[in-house]
Amino acid sequence: MIEVRNLTKRYGGTTAVDDLSFTVHPGLVTGFLGPNGAGKSTTMRMVLGLDRPTGGEALVNGRRYADLDQPLRHVGALLDPAAVHHGRRALDHLRWLAASNGISGRRAVALLEQVGLGGVRDKRIRALSLGMKQRLGVAAALLGDPEVLMFDEPVNGLDPEGVRWIRDLVRGLAEEGRTIFVSSHLMSEMALTADHVVIVARGRLITETPMEALTRNGSLEDAYLDLTSGRGL
Amino acid sequence: MKNALAAEWTKLRTVRAPFGIVAAIGLMVVAGAALSWLIVRDYDGSPAAEQAEFASADSSVVITPVVQFLVAALGALVATSDPRLTALTAVPDRKRLLAAKTVLVATAAAVLGVVALATSTGTSRLVMGDRPPPIAPWDGLGDVLPWAGAAVLSILVTGLTGLGIGLAVRSTAVTVVVVGVLLWGVPAVTPMLPEPWDVDASAVMVPYLVWEVAGVVDDPPLSPAAAVACLLLYALVALGAGTVALLRQDA
Repeated sequence: MIEVRNLTKRYGGTTAVDDLSFTVHPGLVTGFLGPNGAGKSTTMRMVLGLDRPTGGEALVNGRRYADLDQPLRHVGALLDPAAVHHGRRALDHLRWLAASNGISGRRAVALLEQVGLGGVRDKRIRALSLGMKQRLGVAAALLGDPEVLMFDEPVNGLDPEGVRWIRDLVRGLAEEGRTIFVSSHLMSEMALTADHVVIVARGRLITETPMEALTRNGSLEDAYLDLTSGRGL
Repeated sequence: MKNALAAEWTKLRTVRAPFGIVAAIGLMVVAGAALSWLIVRDYDGSPAAEQAEFASADSSVVITPVVQFLVAALGALVATSDPRLTALTAVPDRKRLLAAKTVLVATAAAVLGVVALATSTGTSRLVMGDRPPPIAPWDGLGDVLPWAGAAVLSILVTGLTGLGIGLAVRSTAVTVVVVGVLLWGVPAVTPMLPEPWDVDASAVMVPYLVWEVAGVVDDPPLSPAAAVACLLLYALVALGAGTVALLRQDA
């Protein structure tokens, strides 16, 4: 479970996240929606302890991420697939991540096979396509077999087959009882994937609701545009 | 800590740049040995009066500043080559991450320093044979150890300085430039300062501190102990700046 409580982040005079509170429950895919600059990525970074909140807190299973021992065994995250050393081989990238959390190197080999990168495991990351880098990021997130998974725009750069693969993967992980938190701009994709939705705009919570309540009277896109333009449902 | 250190070691040995640095150090040792041989050949063909004016043929004196720079670049790589987002997601305890990087750089710098100094002083000794001073500056192992120890300490310090500056500025290129200015730029300027600042400022520059630590300078401005403290201060100030940046900045 992810709990965000009164989370606030200011950069000088700019407020990126403003007193945001919501909960991401296990066994569901929770979609995180909002316009560009709404504070989605900043919120995810604060959950992972990468950015320090100006106020409030973000907890994973009741604890701050930075306080977790071997955090990759609890939380897997794909925030930026480009945040890797591009001169390192794909398998070596997973191996150092595995070593950092006491995870077996054999798990890295198995995961590369699972995400369809077994054939390029010895290629340097700079030689991989955007979609392959995305899959490598997914493999890194799954490395510690975590209960909580966070994906920031996971289908960016993926072809239709890759999009379906991510969708099936995310749905499958939620059915196993894991906590899944996914941000995306693609309403059609989110409508197919998410069970629950958190919508933010200008750093503030607009709504936190089950998907079916939001789409009862129309499409997710219509509901989203109504909410984020301030007209209400 | 064990896992964080294992991760840092895996990161270091799975990219090409560190191997380039080690190769460059090896090349410097070989080039130094060739230089020693050329100096000795010239020495042997010179009249006795000119032989007395020859500089030392010990190549370790020539290669030490380059090894200092290369090891500082290695420290910079450990600090900056992997995006902080991924590094802190894997090891969110920033103090633990800093400790792992510091141990790795200190160990690598010490090993590279010892190997470079042992190889260069050893080959120089072989090339110089039993020729007298000044071309053979050391009169046995006991004589060379203070210099070699001071040189290894300076290499350790510059490695940690590169790490600290790298963590503070988060750029390999900027770190390498800053280290170059510290090791070569500023020491080239301090002798041009008016008295007594020329001596005082030069005395705390890394190239001169190595000789002061070794205790081989006549009438040195700093005692060997004070020179060690001054040398260590470079690493402490840089690591302090790097620690503040790592602990306080967003990834």
